[in-house]
Amino acid sequence: MAKVEPSKFEKELLTMSSEADASKAKDQTWGRPPLPDGFDPALNDISFQQLDAEEALTDGSSAVKFFGVTEEGYSILCTVVGFLHYFYVPAPINFRKEHLEEFIKYLRANFQGVHDVQMAMKESIWGYNGGEKVVFLKVIAANAKDVPKIRSGFEKGQVSFNGMFVSGGDGIMTYDNIQYLLRMMIDCKIVGMSWITLPKGTYSMVPSKDRISTCQLEVNIDYRKMIPHQPEGKWLKSAPLRILSFDIECAGRKGIFPEAEHDSVIQIANVVSRSGETTPFVRNVFTVNTCSPITGSEIFEHEHESDMLLAWKNFIVRVDPDVIIGYNTTNFDLPYLLDRAKALNLKNFPYFGRLKYVKQEAKDSVFSSKAYGTRESKVINIDGRMQLDLLQFIQREYKLRSYTLNSVSAHFLNEQKEEVQHSNITDLQNGTSETRRRLAVYCLKDAYLPLRLLEKLMCLVNYTEMARVTGVPFSFLLTRGQQIKVISQLYRKCLEVDTVIPNLQQNGSSDVQYEGATVIEPKRGYYDVPIATLDFSSLYPSIMMAHNLCYTTLLNRNTIERLSLKKDVDYTQAPSGDCFIKSSKRKGLLPIILEELLSARKQAKNDLKKETDPFKKGVLNGRQLALKISANSVYGFTGATIGKLPCLAISSSVTAFGREMIEKTKQEVQDHYCIANGFKYDAQVIYGDTDSVMVKFGYDDLETCMKMGEEAADYVSTKFLNPIKLEFEKVYFPYLLINKKRYAGLYWTNTKKFDKMDTKGIETVRRDNCRLVSNVITKVLELILERRDVPEAESFVKQTIADLLQNRVDMQQLVITKALSRQDYANKQPHVELAERMRKRDAGSAPAIGDRVAYVVIKTAGTKAYEKSEDPLFVLENNLPIDTKYYLENQLSNPLTRIFEPILGEKRARELLTGAHTRTVTVAAPTTGGLMKFVKRVQTCKGCKSALPKSNKGTLCPNCLPKAGQLYSEALASLNALEIKFSRLWTQCQRCQGSLHQDVLCANKDCPIFYMRKKAQKDVAQQALELEKWNDTEW
Amino acid sequence: MLEAKFEQAAFFKKIIDAFKDTVHLCNFNCSPSGITVQAVDDSRVLLVSLLIGEDSFTSYRCDHNITLGVDLTALAKVLKCGNNDDTLSLVAEDTPESVLIVFEDTQKDRISEYSLKLIDIESDFLDIDDIEYDSVVNLPSSDFQKVARDLSQLSDSLAIVVTKDTIKFEANGDIGTGSVILKPFTDLENPQNTVKVELNKPVLLSFGLKYLLDVVKGSSLAPAMSVKLSEKTPALFEYKLPSGYLRFYLAPKFEEEE
Repeated sequence: MAKVEPSKFEKELLTMSSEADASKAKDQTWGRPPLPDGFDPALNDISFQQLDAEEALTDGSSAVKFFGVTEEGYSILCTVVGFLHYFYVPAPINFRKEHLEEFIKYLRANFQGVHDVQMAMKESIWGYNGGEKVVFLKVIAANAKDVPKIRSGFEKGQVSFNGMFVSGGDGIMTYDNIQYLLRMMIDCKIVGMSWITLPKGTYSMVPSKDRISTCQLEVNIDYRKMIPHQPEGKWLKSAPLRILSFDIECAGRKGIFPEAEHDSVIQIANVVSRSGETTPFVRNVFTVNTCSPITGSEIFEHEHESDMLLAWKNFIVRVDPDVIIGYNTTNFDLPYLLDRAKALNLKNFPYFGRLKYVKQEAKDSVFSSKAYGTRESKVINIDGRMQLDLLQFIQREYKLRSYTLNSVSAHFLNEQKEEVQHSNITDLQNGTSETRRRLAVYCLKDAYLPLRLLEKLMCLVNYTEMARVTGVPFSFLLTRGQQIKVISQLYRKCLEVDTVIPNLQQNGSSDVQYEGATVIEPKRGYYDVPIATLDFSSLYPSIMMAHNLCYTTLLNRNTIERLSLKKDVDYTQAPSGDCFIKSSKRKGLLPIILEELLSARKQAKNDLKKETDPFKKGVLNGRQLALKISANSVYGFTGATIGKLPCLAISSSVTAFGREMIEKTKQEVQDHYCIANGFKYDAQVIYGDTDSVMVKFGYDDLETCMKMGEEAADYVSTKFLNPIKLEFEKVYFPYLLINKKRYAGLYWTNTKKFDKMDTKGIETVRRDNCRLVSNVITKVLELILERRDVPEAESFVKQTIADLLQNRVDMQQLVITKALSRQDYANKQPHVELAERMRKRDAGSAPAIGDRVAYVVIKTAGTKAYEKSEDPLFVLENNLPIDTKYYLENQLSNPLTRIFEPILGEKRARELLTGAHTRTVTVAAPTTGGLMKFVKRVQTCKGCKSALPKSNKGTLCPNCLPKAGQLYSEALASLNALEIKFSRLWTQCQRCQGSLHQDVLCANKDCPIFYMRKKAQKDVAQQALELEKWNDTEW
Repeated sequence: MLEAKFEQAAFFKKIIDAFKDTVHLCNFNCSPSGITVQAVDDSRVLLVSLLIGEDSFTSYRCDHNITLGVDLTALAKVLKCGNNDDTLSLVAEDTPESVLIVFEDTQKDRISEYSLKLIDIESDFLDIDDIEYDSVVNLPSSDFQKVARDLSQLSDSLAIVVTKDTIKFEANGDIGTGSVILKPFTDLENPQNTVKVELNKPVLLSFGLKYLLDVVKGSSLAPAMSVKLSEKTPALFEYKLPSGYLRFYLAPKFEEEE
């Protein structure tokens, strides 16, 4: 095989290695810097950033293992001992101090693991009772595992001490139920990803024979001795974390998604970098069979798959990554490797965590959260190493059209990659060392891209800050929901003020509803004057702060009467009827938490402005984002009916205040800005939703509108309690209000130039539409809003519809994609049925579970949607007729009508869809179908399109023969044009794959070029055939 | 210029009704010798071929080839407006935007005019090779219509077995089976009632009843019809017009498609 020119990515690799050579760290060196000789724990402090924490048991007592990295880059396992788990129960009224000893004996006799009981003055978080503290008993257990039994003993009424602790056969409420790990972190004031210092002489090194981990340092310390640092000042830094990104390739069989029992792993590509550095210092590929060298990367060839897997495991242990990332590694790569090792009976393989004797296993878990929906996933315990699956991260944080690595990189990095089909991988592997090299480059790129995404999206930084702000360990952020973050903060705050949290039984059903936010009925239409938008900033948090809404301030009738509180003096009554004590009497915990979060955010934003160092800037920005999200999730926490501590009195009061405020804002604006008050126009609130109102002041210039918007915001703000603030944010001009939560407009924040086009609820991003819809809508909005050219928009729509009906629209525009998921669908779905049909046709290329199925809707005898779906490639090859009517009526019609109706009125809007331009159609003559084997397409004259009799020689009818010269050159020109088009598309694909000297393998169905390229390929072949027919023409 | 006049509107209406459920858009190719239509249904299993010969019209004039792209649903709506006994004229220019449909009530001197917008349909011309059929059956249209409708209650496919002296229709369904046997029979007084079999080779073919139900809509055009069959080839169902024909070519069901 000829020497091929290196692809773009290969060149990039080369640069990396030369760059890395120049830097001080040695390139392609796996191990960590060695510990200095004679490290003495009596003489050295250790400061480390803890990354991961887990509960452990030492000598029968609970302990916490912190995994971390020191500033120098040494890995450490620090076991913190001595902290015992506990919970509270309220002491019965007649419980005296002298009972304590007897009670401890009683408990110890009846329950396993009771260590001690102490008396403490505490207060329940639930409700305001005048601020009195009462006696609580703190029940302490040596082993955290014993706590639930003891607790339920109290709750179920099994604890009866001198007739106390039982109330009418039932048990009593217990307080403070939180897992041991968090309890320890909260009580020790350790937040996630923070630094801990172990002062010299206070900790002990574990002798090497007793070590259980692969960390360089393994120490024990009592929890009272260590010094936790709050993430401020110099402790804001990050340790040099080692980040491994990897990707595996499997040799699948035709038509079957790789299964670990049968299909071997053939390559594993790895890229390792240190956080904060741009160039990865390890780049390698482990391969089965030979592989030609790749500059800038190491290749480790292995004869057998099992050798390769074990070598890779040793590599992981040696390179000792702190963070393992990848794309879909949690649900595919890692479980696959583990299953594969099991299938090959490699007993030593699943030990690449930091704990030497803990085996890695994949467990199924179902994660369900209101915010993120229900997701099934695997959980793999890699003790001591953080895992961050970029796919999971992006699915959580961004709403995208497609989540393939390819489209995600295209979206964020502006970079495409080729997509090799499963079946092709096997062919490449079975080829030569050159084809395996090609695969290796592809695999390496797949390993490198997640690292780039990690950097670009600042995942690590943002999540680190989130962990620090909310206090939970890093791993919770990906595996747990929103609630745990609020709980962590709430417990931290409660600890400071001696407040305890009741362990409510979770029996609330999720369908208890309360009235949500209000929407002011939109005055639909097209507004050609500026519309000012006034927003309440952080509406819900500021309502909670302004009205002091909290668990601790909630009042009931009895308390009001008992303490003879006065309405509006001592307490506030929410529009929903619930009463809360005023902050003058007692400040609520939630408002305090919120104030801290928001002031911390303000601080972070101020620091951000001053900061110049890009890394620190990233940290600060991550922090202010984390703070904002945290502040907003507090409200949700109180309303989560299946949550830990739901309190609908709070959440419904919040929304009730919100509704009232929106209405009041509308009233105030309209009352103040009116002709009666000397203004030129009556201002009108045309729409409002949750935390914003849209105001039409009537003036037609931006400047006045912006000025008035600002004035109005300030004016209305004075009518509300501090810190509620109405802000003027932007002006929409022009503005198209279609319906509730559906609008579009040009977004202005200055008078010079608009910032962007803003759309809400309009079919520009939805994935269940074809591209045609979003393209047309985007273009139409652009024409209407930006260019203000409605006639042009109309004619554009007409042209598009005409093109559609005449089959001139590119196939890619019509493709709809849906993921083929594992579940059985109750109803027949187009993409599922199609996948089934494709499997029958050719099992090799049919989509497997997990793939996205691309389909177009074609004309068939059936009328059901699922009968009309077809593989776009199959459609191209067989010239099947597109069901243009479906696209017109089911895809384009509604969104277009919605946009044009407010502008043109009903009649003219309908004409867009039925006018004269819909009267030219093309019906493709298909090559499949029962009849088509027997039918011949009658040759038509190239000149006049009339049917030619069989006896006719050549391609023209006698009438047209005189024009032969001209017609032939036209045909020739058309072939040339098609050839040029095809070669341009082909080159484009070659560029994307990074090399102009290799075949294009890519079969990426999400790529806009793919179908165009396939179509062009076919057109060229067809046109060449057409040209051949001229051979018989005599002229 | 096209000017084609039918003696009775009902005739044209019947023709359109016979295949308007099979195809929705089609080109009427008007030539000096008459009007032809050829179109395939959306599933590409049933092909309609229509010839209305020059002699079907009381007067017919067409100087050049003219193509009328028609939405049959729309055409059927217009045709409903005429009375059965009215005369019907189709009038179109050489490159028409629309076609004029004129009903004339000869008794009352009432003229109604409708103009139907045309569609520019670009599609290929198809051609079916002339086939030597293994067997040709002539039978009354209504008999075949009844067989198809009855047996469609049981199954969605119909087997036709033709042997030397019987034609057997069979349907096998979930609820049971049904079969109808016809034997050759000559009725000299009412020749349309004659059942006749010309056989080179016995045949057994299965068809989708869904399509056959579309085919039998042609029954109102002619009292008798012919069915031409060969193994593994499309069957031809033909209704003769006074001048011309309405033909349906239907692909048989192959086992692997089930």
